[in-house]
Amino acid sequence: MNDAAPMRAASAAPSPTGRRIDVFAIVVRFQSVIGLVLVAIGGIIFSPRRHGHILFLAPDNMANIVRAVSETGIIAVGMTFVIITAGIDLSVGALLSLCSVLTATIMTSGGYGLIPTVLFVVLCGSAFGGAQGLISNRFRLEPFIVTLAGLQVARGLALVISGNQYINISYGNGPGLAPPVFAILGDRLFNNVVPVATLVFVVVAAIATFVLNFTRFGRYVFAVGGNDRAARLSGVPVSLVKVSVYAITGFVSAIAGVVHAGQFNFGSANDGTGYELVAIASVVIGGTSLFGGSGSMIGTVAGAVMLGALANILQLNNINAALQLLATGAIIVLAAVLQSLVRRREGLGR
Amino acid sequence: MNAEPLLTMRGIVKRYGGVQALRGVDFDLLPGEIHALLGENGAGKSTLMNVLSGVVEPDEGDMRIEGATTRFADPRAAQTAGVATIFQELDLVPGLDVTANLFLGREITRAGVLDRGAMRRAAREHLAVVGADIDVDQPVGELSVGRRQMVAIAKALTYASRILIMDEPTAALTAAEVDRLFRVMRDIAARGVGIVYISHRLEEVPRVADRVTVLRDGRVAGTGPAAAPQSELVRLLVGRPLAELYPKRGARFGRTVLRLERARFSPKRARAGWQAPDDVSLRVRSGEIVGLAGIMGAGRTELLTALYGAAGPGAWSGVVEVEGRPARLASIRASRGDGLGLVTDDRRGSGLMLRDSVGRNLALTVLKRVSPFFLMSPAREAALASEAIKTFDVRPPLPQVIVGALSGGNQQKVVLAKEVLGQPRLLLLDEPTRGVDVGAKGEIYARIRALADRGLGVLIASSEMPELIGLCDRVVVLRKGRTVAEFDGGADEHAVLAAAEKSEGNAHE
Repeated sequence: MNDAAPMRAASAAPSPTGRRIDVFAIVVRFQSVIGLVLVAIGGIIFSPRRHGHILFLAPDNMANIVRAVSETGIIAVGMTFVIITAGIDLSVGALLSLCSVLTATIMTSGGYGLIPTVLFVVLCGSAFGGAQGLISNRFRLEPFIVTLAGLQVARGLALVISGNQYINISYGNGPGLAPPVFAILGDRLFNNVVPVATLVFVVVAAIATFVLNFTRFGRYVFAVGGNDRAARLSGVPVSLVKVSVYAITGFVSAIAGVVHAGQFNFGSANDGTGYELVAIASVVIGGTSLFGGSGSMIGTVAGAVMLGALANILQLNNINAALQLLATGAIIVLAAVLQSLVRRREGLGR
Repeated sequence: MNAEPLLTMRGIVKRYGGVQALRGVDFDLLPGEIHALLGENGAGKSTLMNVLSGVVEPDEGDMRIEGATTRFADPRAAQTAGVATIFQELDLVPGLDVTANLFLGREITRAGVLDRGAMRRAAREHLAVVGADIDVDQPVGELSVGRRQMVAIAKALTYASRILIMDEPTAALTAAEVDRLFRVMRDIAARGVGIVYISHRLEEVPRVADRVTVLRDGRVAGTGPAAAPQSELVRLLVGRPLAELYPKRGARFGRTVLRLERARFSPKRARAGWQAPDDVSLRVRSGEIVGLAGIMGAGRTELLTALYGAAGPGAWSGVVEVEGRPARLASIRASRGDGLGLVTDDRRGSGLMLRDSVGRNLALTVLKRVSPFFLMSPAREAALASEAIKTFDVRPPLPQVIVGALSGGNQQKVVLAKEVLGQPRLLLLDEPTRGVDVGAKGEIYARIRALADRGLGVLIASSEMPELIGLCDRVVVLRKGRTVAEFDGGADEHAVLAAAEKSEGNAHE
């Protein structure tokens, strides 16, 4: 037998890919932050000017951007948990609407006071989300289907409760009037600059960032999405985690619903349409993989703000809404392609 | 040999991430030749055949078919060029009948409508070529594994193949089926088809092949006539004498960690192809490595998963004791609580979060220990991870590396280390060296032995008989979910095999 190759020392380990600094990976990791910066630069360049002032950078305009994204942003923060577990929640927009109707109805008819009302609504939202998680988990149904059904149910409930009418909120003291303090959700603080809705978004995002990155539960979420069989075999309570993340999206949808009612002074069964898609887009642009197991809360926040800023620039330049949709679509595809390139480079397929 | 080569591959290189699977491989195939391709797991056999069948594109190298330079963009292009592959997991659709499977994707139609009559006639002809008497209307899922193999071969031949790649076709066959398969292979070769025959079983090489090529660590270790002595093949495969591969056996064993006496697991719902542990009696002592032998389908994996409480709803009956106390082992949680740990045979599917870092994977079994008051403690996590990386010699020794980028052997070390961090007293290992190259195999054996020496009981299921005999202190043979024999470590391989395969001949069909 002729040896075609000389004997080789068996100890040479394959060279690791982890040691050198990987610019491409870093770019993708912070893609939404970079995207946000690019959009902001673009905003400055293409912004209309008045008396030499850049309208895009005007405090009022900035406040508008962050106020406009706060509701979908709050939802996107919760959605990040679900998507990291490789799930999806389509019910969030409808649930926001249901919760806005609930809030308005209770405020104008119950007279239970602000805090009990908000607590009750948030509890309802969490229970609704958790129930979807339970059903999907218990009967092994795709979350896509369960939450699609949940969307219809929530929308239907909202229509029934509201009688397909706007439930207007009037403020004051007395029966049928909401506590005036609730109207603060539509206000701005700090020299009339920072919208209260945005503050709620910031607080929710901060708590979520902490939970995802610094608690055991956060690690469970990554583990379930990274490989749920491995997680289960390692003793992670996989079912509990899966139910919890849907309770979280329900929870944030309820908060967004309360904010919605407070901002606009009514509850409506027809609002929040398409919010689920904006939220999912924010998460995906933020670099969270739809396959689960990886993701970043800061990315989601940046993604949400970026979408808002983009819409704002286009509006400032009077570019019509159809083009805004096209631009959003293109960005989502770009974000997804970047993710896919990373996976392929790591040799992990798909 | 005078014929012009059907296939020449020169200097084929393929990298996956940081792992170099092929480091410049040359390979020839003559018309009418059966060329055996040998190599340990991870040696590069599958990658080389994936290049040939268009599944992956090589990074470097030259491939010629009948002298013409060829590069396949996808498997379809390879099929069109007459290269057909029969994979280990036969790519047949169980729910469709034999005819439909044979013509899947290339259905015969008349005016756009399926012409079933023509397909059934053609299917009979194709099956006649491989000498198989199979009802063309029967769903493939109802056929025995051997018969499915014949259908797969017939299907491959419908591509009018010039080159046929067979990836471990005998792994799941009985002796009689193997004989028939070899006859068919020689018939096919006699018609001028070149066959690449991949196998783990050295003794089969001289029976069926003309030539043999041995791959090791992505290179050709040697190539020559199939009649070469087996010891020579082993030397080429392993790169050193076999004896050094296995650590010294254990000397002292402690108390009994696991005792099963006529134990039986009754699943709540019966599953096809799931061989429930039926009548199992065995004992694992602290410090002892016990092997589970058995042919495919004997119920080795099922026994381990059922012990680990991961086999779904169901209950154990008979005597099941862990450390002298009766145990129910009804759920993963319960089994872990009783001190059991499991490493499955599928590290990518059920062992690792491939896209996460080594450190975060390692922490999975110890999340409670590294998160007091539910808050992650990065310091504790890092300490445990670096300790585990050191003990198991994971390379590179960096917790931040993405696990999916490691070699198979290092991934396996991470899975093992992860489970050991959970501080089990009984470690269940299913195929602990599957897809691991030889060097890493030896290291993994050494770690397992070291764990046993520290007082763990280890129960290992493996389909590689030399591994069981070389590593274990005792080997228990499983057949149809029952323990049927027990051997001391170092027993004669043929005796163990005979016990595992006994009465298999009349057991099927």
